[in-house]
Amino acid sequence: MEPFRDNDELAIALRSLRPAPRAAFAAELDARVDAEFPSPVKSAATPLSRWAAKLRTAQPRRLVLPAGGVALAAIAAVTVVVAASEPGSSPSTHRLRPTHGSVQFESAPGVVKAPRHAAKASEAAVGTSAEAAAESPPAESPAEPFLANGRARAHTGPFAFPARHRDVERSAELTLGAAPDDVSDDARRVFAVVHAHDGIVLSSSIRESDNAEIAARFSLLIPAAKVGDALDALSSIDEVRSRHQATADVTAPTVGLGERLRDSRAKVEGLLSQLAAADTDAERAAAEVELRAEHNHAAALRSRLSALQRRTNLSKVQVLIETRDRAGSQGGAWGPGAALGDAGHILGIAAGVALVALAVLGPLALLAWLAWLARRSWLRRRRERALG
Amino acid sequence: MEQALIADAGAAPRQADLAFDRLYRSSRDDVYAYVASLLRDPAAAEEVTAVAFERAYRKRSRFDPHRGEPRAWLFGIARNAALDELRRRGRQAELAAEPADLAAVGAEESAAASEQRLAVSAALASLIPRERELIALKFFAGLSNREIAAVLGLSESNAGTRLHRAITKLREACDGAI
Repeated sequence: MEPFRDNDELAIALRSLRPAPRAAFAAELDARVDAEFPSPVKSAATPLSRWAAKLRTAQPRRLVLPAGGVALAAIAAVTVVVAASEPGSSPSTHRLRPTHGSVQFESAPGVVKAPRHAAKASEAAVGTSAEAAAESPPAESPAEPFLANGRARAHTGPFAFPARHRDVERSAELTLGAAPDDVSDDARRVFAVVHAHDGIVLSSSIRESDNAEIAARFSLLIPAAKVGDALDALSSIDEVRSRHQATADVTAPTVGLGERLRDSRAKVEGLLSQLAAADTDAERAAAEVELRAEHNHAAALRSRLSALQRRTNLSKVQVLIETRDRAGSQGGAWGPGAALGDAGHILGIAAGVALVALAVLGPLALLAWLAWLARRSWLRRRRERALG
Repeated sequence: MEQALIADAGAAPRQADLAFDRLYRSSRDDVYAYVASLLRDPAAAEEVTAVAFERAYRKRSRFDPHRGEPRAWLFGIARNAALDELRRRGRQAELAAEPADLAAVGAEESAAASEQRLAVSAALASLIPRERELIALKFFAGLSNREIAAVLGLSESNAGTRLHRAITKLREACDGAI
């Protein structure tokens, strides 16, 4: 046999070795192709499995639109749920918000009176006293249970202070809506209510401008025993747009200050005895210096204790009178401005939902993609190994 | 012409079916020849060829003509199916230049031609599996260098270089056998 003269001759020899399919197999395969590869399971498959199979073989680009639609629908649904569950979305929404050593009770616009049953919840939370909270300025608004003399019953619980009485500081904030012409009348009625309840007007300001958002502002001190009645009276002056009450338990700092004051007094008495028994001028001078210092210390403690007691005896109440129309939620006219505000709010919620979804699904998608890449690489290596 | 074998992804399903049918008619024997060369078992080759075409049919709507040629895509599917079969059977892939039923020499074939076939067959057997696969893709399946590169996941120039080396080695083996 002659060697191959060129590659073309070799190619011809190679092609002569080409395996060819049997005629019967070719005919059978032709028939299957013509019948579009009927699957025995296909007829028995459930609609769900047929849909899953269709999804598996679908072109990725064709899945983008339905997937996007589903994602948008999910975001819209969650947005509706979140928006509907927001405080203020219902006119009768109440919310208890426990804070550090205090409880705040809020009433949504339209709620006129603080429910008495909230008192119990507030009392329970009051048990978690904290000196830090008590030493801080009064909470924006005291909550609940405006019990007599600023004292509430003692509570048991893991963090309850073992005192028989609780010293509770209360505050409240009340926003009234009034027509511009009614502001003066309302202001007069506020003064009357304060007077009737032996309260004090710390400050007040009234604007005559019709466009003012807040037409009048009052800062009041009402005896703790009467603050509940006073708030009810204030709420009856005009439309209540919001009512916010809070309490802060100051039992621990009050008791602590009292004990330190007693210690200080005892020390003063000791120093007086020491001064009386002093034999030398030096001993007397030293005792006097120490006595002066202790006197000052006791005075400071007394001052702090008095301040705390004032805060429990007198509740701070802020009253605002608004004239700007709060459309929509207040039942007023709903104009383009309010619509824009609502639209912005809804878009904000939707963006938040989308962001949270992205934060959750993003890492999962990344993991899935990495797993898919790893599987593909592993499969490819196994196949190449099969080839040797 | 090859580009038109499978319709654009956005085309109507009917058009995609027609395109697949054209691809099948033009590639059936080539796919079988390549798979039979890989498996060296005509029965298994028939089964794998049918599986490959069925997979291609099911995935036809996912084929993107912008990412490659339809024959390369089809041979990629066939190659995966054949390698899966090899792996499943735990067999070492061996490229058969001369499957049993094709080794028979026709009565009219000359002695010289018969001798040449045997020499080429022996030379093919001396190549490593990857080289034999290259030869099968080129001369049994009739793929272009570009298509071979797409099937094997290589660059076109790399595929051409490897193919050239395999042919040279085969020729040397044939010359040595003579």
